[in-house]
Amino acid sequence: MNPLSSLPILSLLIWLPLAGGLGCLFLRPVRHASRWIALGTTGVVFALTLFLFITGSSKNGWLFFEDHAWISRFGIRYTLGMDGLSLLMTLLTAFLLIVAVLISWQVSPYPDFFFSLLLLIECGIMGVFLSLDLVLFYLFWEIMLIPMFFLIGVWGHARRLYAAVKFFLFTLAGSLLMLLALISLYLLHGQQTGDYSFALSALIHTQIPPNLAWWLYGSFFVAFAVKVPLVPVHTWLPDAHTEAPTAGSVILAGILLKTGVYGLIRFGFPLFPGPAHASLPILAVLALAGIFYAAWIAYAQNDAKRLIAYSSVAHLGFVILGLAAWNLTALEGSILQMVNHGITTGALFSMVGMIDQRAHTREIARLGGLWTRVPVLGAFFLFFSLASLGLPGLNNFTGEILILLGTFTTHPVWAALALGGVVFAAIYMLRLVQGVLWGPTKGDEPWTDLSGREALVLIPLAILVLWLGLHPSTFLEPVREPVQLLLQGSMFPSMPGGMP
Amino acid sequence: MTDKTLFLIPLLPLLCGALNVLFGMRLPRQLSQAIAVGGVASSTVLTLVLWPLSAGAGTHVTLFTWLDSGTLHVPVEILFDPLSASMTLMVTGVSTLIHLYAIGYMHRDADYARFFALLNLFVFAMLTIVLADNLLLLFLGWEGVGFCSYALIGFWYREEKNASAGRKAFLVTRVGDVFLGIALLWLFKLFGTLSISGINAGASQLAPHILTLLVVLLLLGACGKSAQLPLMTWLPDAMAGPTPVSALIHAATMVTAGVYLLCRLFPLVSLSSTGLALISAVGAVTAFYAATCALAQREIKKVLAYSTMSQVGYMFLGVGTGAVAGSMFHLFTHAFFKALLFMGAGCIIHLCGEENDIFKMGGLRKKSPLVFWLFLAGALCLAGAPLSSGFFSKDGLLAAAYAHGTPFYLTIYILGAFTALLTAIYTFRLLYLVFGGTSRFTGDLHGLPKLMTWPLIPLALIALFSGVLNLPEIFGGHQWLDHLLHAAGSGESHPLSHMQEWTLAGIATALFAIGWAVAHWRYSRFTPAQEKKAVLFFLHGWQADRLVHATLITPFAFLSRLFWQGADLAVIDGILESLGQGCQSAGERLRTLTTGRVSSYLASLAWGLLLFMLFFLLQVVQG
Repeated sequence: MNPLSSLPILSLLIWLPLAGGLGCLFLRPVRHASRWIALGTTGVVFALTLFLFITGSSKNGWLFFEDHAWISRFGIRYTLGMDGLSLLMTLLTAFLLIVAVLISWQVSPYPDFFFSLLLLIECGIMGVFLSLDLVLFYLFWEIMLIPMFFLIGVWGHARRLYAAVKFFLFTLAGSLLMLLALISLYLLHGQQTGDYSFALSALIHTQIPPNLAWWLYGSFFVAFAVKVPLVPVHTWLPDAHTEAPTAGSVILAGILLKTGVYGLIRFGFPLFPGPAHASLPILAVLALAGIFYAAWIAYAQNDAKRLIAYSSVAHLGFVILGLAAWNLTALEGSILQMVNHGITTGALFSMVGMIDQRAHTREIARLGGLWTRVPVLGAFFLFFSLASLGLPGLNNFTGEILILLGTFTTHPVWAALALGGVVFAAIYMLRLVQGVLWGPTKGDEPWTDLSGREALVLIPLAILVLWLGLHPSTFLEPVREPVQLLLQGSMFPSMPGGMP
Repeated sequence: MTDKTLFLIPLLPLLCGALNVLFGMRLPRQLSQAIAVGGVASSTVLTLVLWPLSAGAGTHVTLFTWLDSGTLHVPVEILFDPLSASMTLMVTGVSTLIHLYAIGYMHRDADYARFFALLNLFVFAMLTIVLADNLLLLFLGWEGVGFCSYALIGFWYREEKNASAGRKAFLVTRVGDVFLGIALLWLFKLFGTLSISGINAGASQLAPHILTLLVVLLLLGACGKSAQLPLMTWLPDAMAGPTPVSALIHAATMVTAGVYLLCRLFPLVSLSSTGLALISAVGAVTAFYAATCALAQREIKKVLAYSTMSQVGYMFLGVGTGAVAGSMFHLFTHAFFKALLFMGAGCIIHLCGEENDIFKMGGLRKKSPLVFWLFLAGALCLAGAPLSSGFFSKDGLLAAAYAHGTPFYLTIYILGAFTALLTAIYTFRLLYLVFGGTSRFTGDLHGLPKLMTWPLIPLALIALFSGVLNLPEIFGGHQWLDHLLHAAGSGESHPLSHMQEWTLAGIATALFAIGWAVAHWRYSRFTPAQEKKAVLFFLHGWQADRLVHATLITPFAFLSRLFWQGADLAVIDGILESLGQGCQSAGERLRTLTTGRVSSYLASLAWGLLLFMLFFLLQVVQG
C-alpha cells in the first residue's frame, strides 16, 4: 500500500502553495526570505507531483480521489480527482512554477508580494486541474485570474495596465458566461432528478434539450476559447504576454492557455457530447485559422516577445486541431503538444527575458549578433527556436506529427492544410533567430554569458525538449487510458470505494 | 558482434558532433578536429567492416520505439541493404576526405568547433536518411540535414547576406518537405505503417490514381532537397557557405537525397508510369535550365552550383526511366567529381586571395599546376570526356531514356543530350577562364595548406576511374553496380543492341568534342564581357528570384501587416474598444439616474424586486 495514500495529497498540491504564499507575506521583514520560500514550496510541490508521476503513471483509473461535503445546502462538494491527464498537467505546472521562481529571482519591487502572487497562481491552477465539482472548478478558475492581473498590472512593462485590464475583461466575460451556464445546468439537473448537485459525475447524466445544450455548450466554449485562445478572441494574448513580467509570460503561455484546452476535454465534451461533437468541424476551422492567421501576424512583429506570443496562438491551433479530429492518436498528440508547447515557449519567454536584461530591448531590429557576444545563450536560443519550429528529434515535432497523423486518417484535408502551417512557423521563427542571433553585433559593451542560475533554468528545459522529442512515451502512457475513456464517452473510471 | 553495431555508423558522427557542441569551445583546435575527423573516419571503417551484412536482402535492425500511439508504431529501425550500404560508403568516405580538407580550409578561422560540430551533425543526419527503414526516421534525417545546411550556409553569420542565404535554403526546402510530409501522412493512412520495406511490399495494391498522386508528392519533396524545378532557387545562394560545406552538402550528399528517396521507394514509384514520366521531365528540364544558367555565371562556385543542379537533374531523368542503378551510379560518380571540383574551387579562391570572379582569374595553370591537374580531372568527368566516370554514368542514363523508344522519352533523350553539349561548353569555359591565358588578377598568389590539396589526390583518382563501378559490357565491364542493386529490386531494363550502344557513345563523344571546340573558340582568349540582356537573364537564373519575390514574398509580407494592423488591431480590437466606449457612455447616461435622492433609489429597488418576482412567478407557473 502506498504510504502516501493516507495523505490528502491532492489537497496538499493545492493548499501548499497557498500556505507558501502566505508565508512570503508573513516573513516580509526577513530579507530574501520570500524567494527561498517560493523556491522551497514549488520544489516540494514538484517533488510531490514527480513522485506521483513515477509511482502512478502506469496505473489506471483515478489515481487519487478526495471527496468531502462542503456547502451541502447547494450540493456543492469538495471533490478532487487525479487521472493521468491531471497528473501530466500538474507535473507541467509544478515544473514551470520552479522555472518562474528562478527566472524572477531578482524581481523588484515588492519581491514578497510577487512571490506570494506566483504561489497563489499555482494554487489556482492546481485547483483547476484537480477539481471535479463545477463550483469548485469555477472558484479556482477565477483564483488564477486575479493574481495574474496584478502580476501583469504591477510588474509588467510599459503598457501593463492596458494589457492587464484587457486580459481581465476578456477572461471574465468568458467565465461569467460559464458561470451562468453551470448554474442553469445545476437547476436543470435538480429539476430532473431532485438531486441538486454540482458534481461533474452527476451532471454528465443530465438530459439537456438539444437547443439548450447548444447554448450551454456555447457558454462553456466561449470561456475556454478565450483562454486557449482561439481566433478571433485571442487579442488579449499578445498584449498580456508581451507586457507581463517574464515569469508571468511563462505561466500564461506555459500553463494558463492549457487550462482552456483542459476545460474542453474535462468539462466541455463530457457534459455536452451532442453539440461538442456536432461542432467539431467548426473547431477545426478555428484551429486552422489560428495556425495560419497567427503565424502570419507573428511574422510582422518587431517585439521578440510579441512574436513568440503570436506563435503560441498558432501552436495552440495544432492542439485544437487534434481535439477536432477526435481520435486516439490525434488526442494523444494534442495532450502531448500542450506539454511540449509549455516547455518550448516557457523556455523562449525565459530567454527573451534574459536577453532583455542584457540588451534593455526586445525589439528585433535593435538586437542582432548575439552569437558573437553570448555564444552559450545564443546556442540555447537556437535550440529552443528549432524545437519551436518543429525540428524532428525535438519535442514539438512529436506532438505535431501525432496530431497530423491522427487527423489525416479521418480528415486528410485538415491535416494537409495544417502541415502548410509548418512552413509559416519556420518563416517567423527563422526571422526571429536571424534578427536576434545573426548579423553584426550592435553595441560593444561586454555582456556576461549565461549565469549559473540561468543555466539551472535552461538545462532541465533542454533535457526535456530532447526527452519529449525522442521518447515521448514516458509522458504519453499516463494519458492513454483517460483518452480512451474520453473517446468512448464514459468519463469516469470506476473508483474503489465508489463515486459519490 | 551483433547487428546493432550498424547503429554506430550514424551514431559515431552524432557523438563526436555532440562532443564538439558541448566542449568544443574549450578543446584545443587539434583535438576538436581530431574528434570530428575520427567520427566520420570510424564510420567509414565500420561500414567496410560490416559490409557483409548488406548481402542479399540486407540486415534490418531496430533500436527502440520512438513513437507509439494507437495503431501508430514508429521504431527507430534501419535497413542495411546493398542500396543503403553503397550510399553509406560513399557518404562516409567522401565526408572523411572533405573533413580532412576542411581542417586545412579552416586553419585560420577561430570558430572551428562550431564548424566541425555542425559538419559531424550533418553526416549523422545524412546517414539517418540513408539507413532509415522508417519514413518518419528518414524525415528526421531529412529535416536534420536541412537544419545543418541552414546553419552552415550562414556559418559566417556576421554578414546578413550569408544568414539570409541559409534561411532561404531552409524555407524553400521546407516547402518541399511539406509535400513529403503529406505523402508520409497519406502512406500511414493507407498502410497503417511507415516502414519503408512494408510500404514497398504493399504498394502494388494501391489504385493507380492514388499512386500517381503519391509519386507527385514525393517528387515535390525530392525537388526541394535536390534543388529541382520549381524549388531550385536556394542552391545558387547556398554558395555563401564555406567551400567544404558546398562540397559535402551541396554537391556530394544532401542535394542527392531526393534522388535517393525516389530510389528507396522505387518499388512504389515504379508503379506509376505517369509519375515516372513526370520525374524524367522535371529532371530533364532542370538539367537544361541549370546548364543554361551555368553558362553565364561569373562566380566560380555558382557555375558549380548550377552544374550540380543540372547533374542532379540527370539523376532524376534516370530514375524516371527506371534506371535506379544507373541513377545511383551517376549519383556516386557525381559525388566524387563534384566534391573534387568544389574543393578545387576552394583552392583556387584561396590562391587568388578570396577572389570569386572567374573573369578576374586566368593563367593559373602555370602558377599552380597541381591544382590545375586536380581540377582538370574533375572537369573532364563533368564534361563527359570519353572513358571518364562521368562519361559512363551520364551516357548510361541517356541510353536508358533512349531505350524506352517512345516519343516522350526520345524528347527527354534529345534534351538530355543537348544539355550534355552545354555542360561541355560551360565546363571548358570555366577551365579556360580560370587556368588559360594570362593572369588577370593583381596581387601575389597565396599559399595553400597541405591539407587542402592532398585529400584531393585520392579523390581525383576515384573520380576519374569510378566508371569501373558500372562499366558497360561493350567496354569490357560487368556492370557491377547494376548487379549489386538489381538484387535489391531495381527497375525494368530495356536492352539495347551493341550497335545502338556504340552509336550513343559516339554521339556523346561528339557532343563533348563540339562543346570543347565551342569553348575553345570563344574563351581560349579572354575578352571582357559584354553585359547583354540575354546574358543577364541567364546570370540571374531566368529571373526566378524576382518572380518568387513578386508573386510570393511581397504578398506574404503585405498580408502579414494587413492581418496584424488591419484585422487584429483595427477590426477585432476596434470593435471591442467601441464596445467598451459604448459601456462607458451608457454609464455616463446612467449616471443621471444617480440623483442622490433616497426616495428614487427606493423606488427603483421596488421596481426591480417586482420584476424579479414576476420572473420567478412565470418560472413557477411554467414549471
